[in-house]
Amino acid sequence: MRVLLSGGASGLGAALLHACMARGDQVTVIDAVPDPQGAPEGPAGGLAWLCHDLGAADPVAWAQLETALVDRGPFDLVVLNAGISATGRFEHIPLADHRQVSRVNLRAPLQLAMVLQHRKALAPGARLVFVASLSCFTGYPGAASYAASKDGLAAFARSLRRPLRQAGVVVQLLCPGPMDTPHAARHAPKRAGRERRMPPERVAKLVLRASPRRFLLLPGTGAHLAALLGRIAPRTMTRIMGRVLFDKLKQQGR
Amino acid sequence: MAGSGRHGFIGTCLITGASHGLGAALACELAARGHRVLATARRAPTELPGEIAGFDYMQADLAQVDEVAALADWALAESGGRLDLALLNAGLGFYRPLQAETAADIARVLQVNLDACVHLAHALHPALSGGALGLVGSVAHKGAAGMPVYAASKGALDGFGRALAEEWRGEVRVRVLHPGPVATGMSERAGRPRGAIDRFFLSPRAVAAALLDALSAPRGADRQVISYLRVGRRGLWRGLVPGRR
Ligand SMILES: NC(=O)c1ccc[n+]([C@@H]2O[C@H](COP(=O)([O-])OP(=O)(O)OC[C@H]3O[C@@H](n4cnc5c(N)ncnc54)[C@H](OP(=O)(O)O)[C@@H]3O)[C@@H](O)[C@H]2O)c1
Repeated sequence: MRVLLSGGASGLGAALLHACMARGDQVTVIDAVPDPQGAPEGPAGGLAWLCHDLGAADPVAWAQLETALVDRGPFDLVVLNAGISATGRFEHIPLADHRQVSRVNLRAPLQLAMVLQHRKALAPGARLVFVASLSCFTGYPGAASYAASKDGLAAFARSLRRPLRQAGVVVQLLCPGPMDTPHAARHAPKRAGRERRMPPERVAKLVLRASPRRFLLLPGTGAHLAALLGRIAPRTMTRIMGRVLFDKLKQQGR
Repeated sequence: MAGSGRHGFIGTCLITGASHGLGAALACELAARGHRVLATARRAPTELPGEIAGFDYMQADLAQVDEVAALADWALAESGGRLDLALLNAGLGFYRPLQAETAADIARVLQVNLDACVHLAHALHPALSGGALGLVGSVAHKGAAGMPVYAASKGALDGFGRALAEEWRGEVRVRVLHPGPVATGMSERAGRPRGAIDRFFLSPRAVAAALLDALSAPRGADRQVISYLRVGRRGLWRGLVPGRR
């Protein structure tokens, strides 16, 4: 199976990479980090690491990436997972950080999806998975630009679902809750319960095993519950997020 | 921002995308309600329609980051650092499948519909204290097969406003208003072929009035759809109560 992953150096991306390599997939990773430190060993040609800054618009770099993707494709599974965050009071976060979040988390996956379609790099029956967040159901005060990027991704995935199905491609939206990854450690309020976060390996397993008939992938009972409450009472859920997350971030002077 | 501003005088409002369509109707409605209007759009002042020509106006292309920054400076200077309302309405989109998109257009739609709003909210925050920030979204924010990139930008704006409304609660009123189809010609310019359905598009004036009502009501959800139900209810109310604007 040919797999394409964006963001493979840490967190969920690294977990997906390891799981795919372990089952003998041919994996292509796009990551801003040049050196695949600790990248798993596999058969020769099993892993291609494409170093590319998804936040940049440089057309030359994108053209090179396109060529590399055509070489390595067509892909049976694509997981657009690369993402960054910026947490704290909206107005205290530098504008440049908000902009970078928007570029990496939203513009880049839109452009990647477009490139894959233009270059016919999605195999018949392929799955195209967008990694959003549980924040799509709960709101995320304290990470306004991050929440924006993930809701944008969700709207994009919903829009593509039908047209791509006609082209034989399955679009899926993954909305994980808090995971035990370096990303969460950086952005969650200090002392937020680590033990309640899900190991990324479990989320990776869910992605790899997901039935192509499902659109929304919610890992774990907690995420299901939060999504349900978010649907029934979206305002209350955002209020709770404000209390639980934003107030703590504010107290910690962020 | 209803009737008179927060400090007892008529408030100052910034409106983007004021040169055409819904934005022009919003600018006129704000002026009719007694506000001072700071208008902006991309076109040159000489190309403004007559009803907008009298407003304080700055030409700025929101696709250019430096022009967004200059616009914020202008609004701060013109308002003396006190804005009662920033109504971020400018937007564009293309009615076409992802297959027909280009990298430049994806970047442009996201920059104008989302990043420029984030930028303006960030820069204007100190001036908005006690006032309101209105974000004009679209019912397409939940996803639209015919315009995936536009839907993504409006979905993102919705998530942005949702978070910011909670962060700024009690300080700045933030509301995201999602209009249904409005007869501004935007959708034809976006590339959607005209059809029988166009007869059901709402008038910009009616949508503008309903949108401002939703924004100025002291109570109301942070995110609201301004479509048939809302516009129709307002029309009915006006019909039943003589003398009501
Ligand atoms: N029409 C609908 O059916 C509908 C439905 C739902 C939501 N909306 C939303 O409502 C808002 C207004 O739509 P509309 O129908 O009134 O659109 P419109 O008639 O096409 O007017 C768009 C306005 O945005 C301005 N604008 C576009 N690109 C700009 C840029 N790069 N820099 C600065 N200004 C720019 C235009 O200025 P210039 O003309 O001077 O370039 C114009 O004033 C948009 O956010 C739209 O997404 C519209």
